[in-house]
Amino acid sequence: MGVNSLPSESSNDLDEQIAQLMECKPLSEQQVRALCEKAKEILMEESNVQPVKSPVTICGDIHGQFHDLAELFRIGGKCPDTNYLFMGDYVDRGYYSVETVTLLVALKVRYSQRITILRGNHESRQITQVYGFYDECLRKYGNANVWKIFTDLFDYFPLTALVESEIFCLHGGLSPSIETLDNVRNFDRVQEVPHEGPMCDLLWSDPDDRCGWGISPRGAGYTFGQDISEQFNHTNNLKLIARAHQLVMDGFNWAHEQKVVTIFSAPNYCYRCGNMASILEVDDCRSHTFIQFEPAPRRGEPDVTRRTPDYFL
Amino acid sequence: MAEKLSSNHITGSSLSTPTDSGIRGSRRERIEIVVRYIGNTMSMVEEPLYPIAVLIDELKNDDIQLRLNSIRRLSTIARALGEERTRKELIPFLSENNDDDDEVLLVMAEELGVFIPYVGGVEHAHVLLPPLETLCTVEETCVREKAVESLCRIGSQMRETDLVDWFIPLVKRLAAGEWFTARVSACGLFHIASPSAPEMLKTELRSIYSQLCQDDMPMVRRSAATNLGKFSATVESAHLKTDIMSMFEDLTQDDQDSVRLLAVEGCAALGKLLEPQDCVAHILPVIINFSQDKSWRVRYMVANQLYELCEAVGPEPTRRDLVPAYVRLLRDNEAEVRIAAAGKVTKFCRILNPELSIQHILPCVKELSSDSSQHVRSALASVIMGMAPVLGKDATIEQLLPIFLSLLKDEFPDVRLNIISKLDQVNQVIGIDLLSQSLLPAIVELAEDRHWRWLQDKVYSIRDAATNNLKRLAEEFGPEWAMQHIVPQVLEMITNPHYLYRMTILHAISLLAPVMGSEITISKLLPVVINVSKDRVPNIKFNVAKVLQSLIPIVDHSVVEKTVRPCLVELSDDPDVDVRFFANQALHPFFIGGVNSNIARAKEDQEEREKGEVSYVQKPKTILTNPSTTLLTRAETFSKDAFTLVRHANVYL
Repeated sequence: MGVNSLPSESSNDLDEQIAQLMECKPLSEQQVRALCEKAKEILMEESNVQPVKSPVTICGDIHGQFHDLAELFRIGGKCPDTNYLFMGDYVDRGYYSVETVTLLVALKVRYSQRITILRGNHESRQITQVYGFYDECLRKYGNANVWKIFTDLFDYFPLTALVESEIFCLHGGLSPSIETLDNVRNFDRVQEVPHEGPMCDLLWSDPDDRCGWGISPRGAGYTFGQDISEQFNHTNNLKLIARAHQLVMDGFNWAHEQKVVTIFSAPNYCYRCGNMASILEVDDCRSHTFIQFEPAPRRGEPDVTRRTPDYFL
Repeated sequence: MAEKLSSNHITGSSLSTPTDSGIRGSRRERIEIVVRYIGNTMSMVEEPLYPIAVLIDELKNDDIQLRLNSIRRLSTIARALGEERTRKELIPFLSENNDDDDEVLLVMAEELGVFIPYVGGVEHAHVLLPPLETLCTVEETCVREKAVESLCRIGSQMRETDLVDWFIPLVKRLAAGEWFTARVSACGLFHIASPSAPEMLKTELRSIYSQLCQDDMPMVRRSAATNLGKFSATVESAHLKTDIMSMFEDLTQDDQDSVRLLAVEGCAALGKLLEPQDCVAHILPVIINFSQDKSWRVRYMVANQLYELCEAVGPEPTRRDLVPAYVRLLRDNEAEVRIAAAGKVTKFCRILNPELSIQHILPCVKELSSDSSQHVRSALASVIMGMAPVLGKDATIEQLLPIFLSLLKDEFPDVRLNIISKLDQVNQVIGIDLLSQSLLPAIVELAEDRHWRWLQDKVYSIRDAATNNLKRLAEEFGPEWAMQHIVPQVLEMITNPHYLYRMTILHAISLLAPVMGSEITISKLLPVVINVSKDRVPNIKFNVAKVLQSLIPIVDHSVVEKTVRPCLVELSDDPDVDVRFFANQALHPFFIGGVNSNIARAKEDQEEREKGEVSYVQKPKTILTNPSTTLLTRAETFSKDAFTLVRHANVYL
């Protein structure tokens, strides 16, 4: 670690940009380009299995729900005071993918030691062209340049993280081609998410009640049973696999006898699912606390606590 | 598109008539008329009226916002046209223009109510009636109501003869209207029409009103019920007992509960107009029936109005008949009814004597204090303290105090707040000694318990609100109080195993220090901060740097040199980049240079900071400034709660 790992002449600009993004106002194309250049330098130094220290707060899918990300910071505390690990899927579906992903990347550049951002299956050129990020970039910038800049940057996002050598964090799940963490460490991640193979599986797989490996209904990745999780955790000396990728109504969901946990941080997903969101605080004693939260109240929606009798029809 | 005529076009001399057979024909006509106004106006005065031209142009714009904007400034247009042309052209034009959006009509109805000066004064006021008459018949309720309001306003200024010539015929036309909307509007105009009418006409008006009370449409009967009180006040007392009472009885027996509950509202108004014995004879039985109405909405209305009726019927019938009715309402099956009844308990007791209150009302109050609905308890708590002066010292001590205590421990914060904020009413009755013996220990316990719980809430915004609250409390009560009630408990929590809670304490220290002053900061707060500078978590360390920076202006220079600066220098050599950054930032203000490698490094960082980082600590830009309303509600409730609790505790102890 250098004395000043941050090019400091830019940290003031960056603080201003972060403040702007916190108000849900996107940066200019030029600013995005410069930001992503710096982010690339930081991210390319990170490992496929990026080591993370506790305490840290682990978060799941955000999907462009910027106001709910703001709520997440109000619940969990602001960056850099609170350390964060996001497990991918920042874009698509919600209305503010641009603001959401720009903010997280800006925080990464400003406080690289305080926040870790992994790659989700939506951080890909192909998926974002179908599920909204591409269209949003076109709408907000008039061209696809910002989409190109971000999707090029996504190739550098680390695929997994390892908290204190005991919690393995990733977006999707396990892969039949991967037995050890060293397997993950060894492949070249800087590419579009492939249609198959270990890198694809890490971003696409889901845990399942059935044992062994199964064919994923998603068309990519696999389903994996409790036996697979137990074996993987045993082999790699892990306590827990924390992953996101699936909507869970309470915001978190244990599976495989607490060997796997799903964390989902987009409340009322797609503005209609009615689910709670959650984050997982791993504190400095390594104990775990889930904090659930609801959607940030939208303007114009009254906070009704009781029915008002309609005396006057 | 002809509708997009620009005002430039209009100001031209050729006023070609748009003949486009568009689907919005009547608006097209309006355009023509407006175009003519403008043409004429502009030919008189070119320059200064240009904004008027725009206004008139916008009366016809497709954008409703522009039409609204223009109609809101109808008086400006009228002033430009002058009184005569306003009467002869603008008003007739508006009369024919009622196919617009309701929003525009609503504004028009409102504007016309204050239009008398623009048509030439009271003697011309009647010209305003036709457009408003049309608006009285439209579908949208709020437009009609506004039109009626404006008609009343105009009618109350009109000369008596004009009322007879213009206003009363209008009321009669509306009352005979084919469509119910006209008849609904008519009901609201009788109290303006009636006073100036000759005797014959008065009789006719009463007869028409009576028909409206029996109209086929419930909407009309509701309007008749609503306006009956106002109308009655203008009727001679001879007719009250006959005509009006029979209308009232019709309404009280209406098969629609929505009509009956409006009749309840009329009871008090009507009761005040009658002699007490007539009131007891005619109104009281109706109220007793209403209090047992099958519709809870009617009973709710009675519960709300009952104490006013007590005043109308006098003390004796109140004791005999209304107390049992009120007790029934306090024990109603419907929570909404109990809420209304509970909220009036003190007012009711004030009318009764203490014995009756203790005998009949107090048992119900006891039940309500553990009602299953928090809103009932809250309504009770908001008024129950006022019962103390009514019941006197002994009853307060024996009967009320236990109820206060139970409400004080309610799980619902509004209930507790309502009790605490009115403690002084009890103080006056039982004296401060007894109060502090009985209630204050519970209050103080609550206050202290709550602080510490909120400071360790799982949610960041709540912890943040809690720290700000501590600061406010310390400001309010001063350092001495804070040293006793806040500081030791806060400082103890610095050992919390969770870094985010330790961070909250650091934040609390930085907020409390300026309030506590130099001495306490140096002796109590600073050592704690210095101590956590060796925390295992970098986030705590860089917050130590931020807090130390904030303490520099508070503590003596010697302490800065001896304690603060060495600590910051050490942090500036931390392995963590963020700790170094914030430590160097804090060192900046008194950095004087040197050969020490730490200081040299600090200097490098400082130079970089000078390019723009300096303001970071004073104005942390990453703070999200708008906590969501859910959080705010929790935080504010907390704030109010704790603040009120401690303020009262402190005042009395």
